[in-house]
Amino acid sequence: MQYELKTQVIEPLRQTFTPLIERYGNKPATRYQEGTIGLQPVENFHYRPTWDSERELYDPNYSALKLTDPYSYTDPRQYYYTPYVTNRAAMHDAFGKTLDYVTNHGLLERTPADWQQLIAEVIIPLRHYESGAQMLYSNACRFSYGATIAQCCGYESFDRIGNAQLISRVGIALGQQTADILKAAKALWIGAPSMQGLRSVEERLLVEQDWAVGVIGLDLVDELVDALVYRYLDEEAILGGAGAYSLLAQHIGTWWTEHRKWLDPLYKEWIADEQYGAANTASIEAAVNTWLPQALAAVKLIASRADELAGTASIAAVEEHAVAVADRFRGLGMDITDPMGA
Amino acid sequence: MTTTAPNQAGKKSAGKPKKLSMKARYSALTRDLDWEPSYVSEQEMYPHTQYEGIKIHDWSKWDDPFRLTVDAYYRYQAEKDKRLYSVLDGFAQGQGHLTLSEAKYLNAMKVFLSGVTPLEYAANRHFAYMARQFNGPGPRFAALCQSIDEMRHAQTEIHTLSNYNKYYSGMHNFIQQHDRVWYLSVTKSYFDDALSAGPFEFMIAIGFSFEYLLTNLLFVPFMSAASFNGDLPTMTFGFSAQSDESRHMTLGLEVIKFILEQDEANVPIVQEWVDKWFWRGYRVTGIVAQMLDYQLPRPVMSWKEAFELYFEQQMMGGLFPDLALYGIRPPKHVEQAIWEKDHLSHWLHDTFYQFSHAANFTTTVPDEEHMEWLSQAYPDTFDELYRDKWEEMRKLDEEGKRFTYPGLPQLCQVCQIPMTFPQHGNPHLKAQFTSEYEGEHFNLCSDGCKWIFEREPEKYRQAWLPVHQIYQGNCGGPTIPDVLKWYGVQEGDNGEYVGSVDQKNWVRWHHQIEDKLGTSSEIEETLEAEGVHAAVKKIEEA
Repeated sequence: MQYELKTQVIEPLRQTFTPLIERYGNKPATRYQEGTIGLQPVENFHYRPTWDSERELYDPNYSALKLTDPYSYTDPRQYYYTPYVTNRAAMHDAFGKTLDYVTNHGLLERTPADWQQLIAEVIIPLRHYESGAQMLYSNACRFSYGATIAQCCGYESFDRIGNAQLISRVGIALGQQTADILKAAKALWIGAPSMQGLRSVEERLLVEQDWAVGVIGLDLVDELVDALVYRYLDEEAILGGAGAYSLLAQHIGTWWTEHRKWLDPLYKEWIADEQYGAANTASIEAAVNTWLPQALAAVKLIASRADELAGTASIAAVEEHAVAVADRFRGLGMDITDPMGA
Repeated sequence: MTTTAPNQAGKKSAGKPKKLSMKARYSALTRDLDWEPSYVSEQEMYPHTQYEGIKIHDWSKWDDPFRLTVDAYYRYQAEKDKRLYSVLDGFAQGQGHLTLSEAKYLNAMKVFLSGVTPLEYAANRHFAYMARQFNGPGPRFAALCQSIDEMRHAQTEIHTLSNYNKYYSGMHNFIQQHDRVWYLSVTKSYFDDALSAGPFEFMIAIGFSFEYLLTNLLFVPFMSAASFNGDLPTMTFGFSAQSDESRHMTLGLEVIKFILEQDEANVPIVQEWVDKWFWRGYRVTGIVAQMLDYQLPRPVMSWKEAFELYFEQQMMGGLFPDLALYGIRPPKHVEQAIWEKDHLSHWLHDTFYQFSHAANFTTTVPDEEHMEWLSQAYPDTFDELYRDKWEEMRKLDEEGKRFTYPGLPQLCQVCQIPMTFPQHGNPHLKAQFTSEYEGEHFNLCSDGCKWIFEREPEKYRQAWLPVHQIYQGNCGGPTIPDVLKWYGVQEGDNGEYVGSVDQKNWVRWHHQIEDKLGTSSEIEETLEAEGVHAAVKKIEEA
C-alpha cells in the first residue's frame, strides 16, 4: 500500500537542452549528460593562443589521436562533479579510518623491519610519481578535445594528487608523525639508482607534446607500478607478516580498478572510431612500442630494490605483467614488440 | 638484513621525534611533492613561463592562501553538494518555478546561463593548464583546486537552471549560442582573450581582475537577483559557491602580490595588465548593469549603487591604496567608468531592447512603477536623458509598432559591444574611435578599448565579430531569420516579453493552479484569441 499525494502537474515544454534532444531524443537527460555533453566550445574562437599560434584554443590537433565525434566517448562511471567528490570523500574517509587503526594498534612499528624499509624506500617515494601524474593529467584536461574526455582527465589529475597525499600520510605515520621518512624518500626519488628509471620516464612523459601519447605512456608505467606495488607486493606483504602494508595499499588498489573503468573504454573508442580508428591504432601501437620497454626497465629497477630488501621475487612479477600488457594490445590488433627486448 | 628499520633509525636521535605542525604537514602533503627535473631541463618542463617577461626568482615564496588537503576538500564539497541538490530536487518537485517574482525574471538567468556558465567551464580547462605549467608547486596546487571548483560551478549552474529550461524559453541552446550569438561574443571574447594570453597574464586577467576586482559586480549580482526574485535554487547555488569563491578571491590577490614582490621589473608589466583587464572586465559588466536595472521584476540595487559600493568603495578605497605599496596605481580609464555609472545600464538595455529579436531573451518597456524606481535610483540622469526614450517606445508598442532596430550595429573591435556609447563626459555625443593596422581600419568604442587595441593589434584584428561574420555570410544566411535559425532560436526565445510564450504560460499556469471556479478552458481560449492582456483582465474579473 502507498498513499497518493496530490501534486500539481504542469507539462514541461521540453525535457532537456536542445543539443541533448538532438543527440538522445526528447527525454529527460541525466545530470551527467546535461553537465558534460557538448560543454566545450567548438567554433568561432576569437584569438589564437600566444603560446601556440598554430592551433585554436580547443583543437583536436593537440593530439594525433582523434575521435570523429568526441562525445562518442562517455565516462561509464557517469562522473560529474558531485558523484565524483562524493565517491572520493568516502574513499579518503575509509583510508583515514584504516590509517587510524594501523596507527592506534602500532601496526607499522610492528611490521617486520625489512618491510618497513621497503615501504620507506620503495613505496613512499612514489608520492612524487603520483604528483607528476597530476601534472600530466592536468595537461590532458586542458588539451584533450571534448568535455567528456577532459572531465575524466581533470578528475584523474585530482585523484593523483590525492594518491600522493595518501602515500605521504603513510610516510608521516611510518615516521611517527614526523617528516623524516618523507625527506628521505624525496632524496631517494632524486638520487637513488632504483628510482631514476621511473623519474626519468615520468619527466620525459611530462614534456611529451601529444597529450594522448603522454596519457598512454603514463598508463603503461602505471600498469607496472600497480602490478608491483598494489598486487604483487601486497600479496607478499601478507605472507611476510606485513599486514599493515596490505591494509593501507588496498585503497589505491581499489582506486586502480575504478580508474580502469574510464580509461579502457577510451582506448576502445579510439580504436573503433570510424574515421580515425586505423590512425589511432597506429598511434597507440607506436606509443606502446616506445614506452612499454622503458616503463618495464624503470619499474624493474624498483622491483629489484624491493627484492633486495624483502627477499621477494618482484622482477618476475613485473615482467610477467609487462608481457600481459603487450598481449592485451596485441589482442586489439596491434603489432607490439616484446617489451623485454629481442 | 643489514638495513636499519626506519622507526629504529628515527629513535636514534635524542628526545622525542618532532611532530609535524599543521603548516608543515600541509606543506609536506602539497608543495613538498615537487622536485626539480633533471632528465629534462626546467625550460622544457615549463616552456610557457618565460615569454611574458615576468621574473620569478623564488617560487617557494608563494604563500598558500588556504591550507586545504585533498581529503578535506572532498569532504566539504560533497557535503555542500548534498545540500544544494536536495534544494534543487525539492524545488523541481514542488513546481517551485511558479513562485518566482515573474516569468520575465528568468531573462536574467538566460543571460547568466549562456553568458557566464560557459566561462566557468573555460576556467575549469584553463586553470588545469596553470596546474601543469607553473614552475612552483604552491600555485600549481591552488590552480588545480580552482580548476575542479570551476567544473563544479559550471555543472551546478546548469543543473540549477535545468528545471527552468523545461518550462521556459531561451535557455535550451545555451552552449551553442555562447559560440554564435552576437552579444555573447562579449563574454566569450573576454575569456578567449585571457585563455590565449600567457599564464601570468591569465592569472591577472581571471584570478585577479575577474575573481577579485570585479567579482562583486559580475557574479554576485546574479545571485542577489535570484534571492530577491524567489529563485531559491540559484540563490542556494550562490551561497554554495561562496566558500569556493572566497578561496578564488584570496588566490587572485595572492597571485598579484606574489608577482609584484618577486621583481621590480614585474611592476610595469602587471600595471599594464591591470589597466587592460580592468577596462576589458568593466565593459563586460555592462551586461550586468542592464540586468540589475531593467531585467528584474524586483530590483536588488541599481548599477550605480552596486558600482559605488563594490568598486569605488571596496576597490578604489580599499584595494588600490594597498596595492600602491607595490607600485601599482588605479587602472587607466577608471574615471570614465565612474562617470558612466549614471548612464551605462540605460544605454545597454536600450541596445538589448532594440535587438532582443536576435537574442535568447525577451525585453519589454519598463512599467510606470519601474520607471519611478529608475528615476529615484538615477536622480541626475534618468528623467532628463532616458525616460523620454522609454515613453516613446511604449507609445510605439501601444500603437502596435513595437520597435526593433532594422539593421545590424557596428561592434567595437575589442569589447564587441555595439558602438552606442557616448563620449566620456558628454551623453549627447556618440563616441567613435578608430585605429589603423597594416592598412586595415578598425572601429572602437572608447579610449579604453582603443588603448587595448593598439597594445596588441595583431591579436584584436583576429576577433570573430558577429556582425562582420553575418555580413560575410558565415552565420547561416543573409537574412535575420537565417541567422536566428543558425542561432538555434525557437519560438518564444526572443523579442517582446508581453505576449511571449513565457508570459502566456505564466498566466495560464497560475490561473490553472488557482482556478477554483473551473474557468481554465475559457481563459485558455481568451489567451489564444485575444492575447495576454485580455486573459489577465478576464482572470481579474473572475
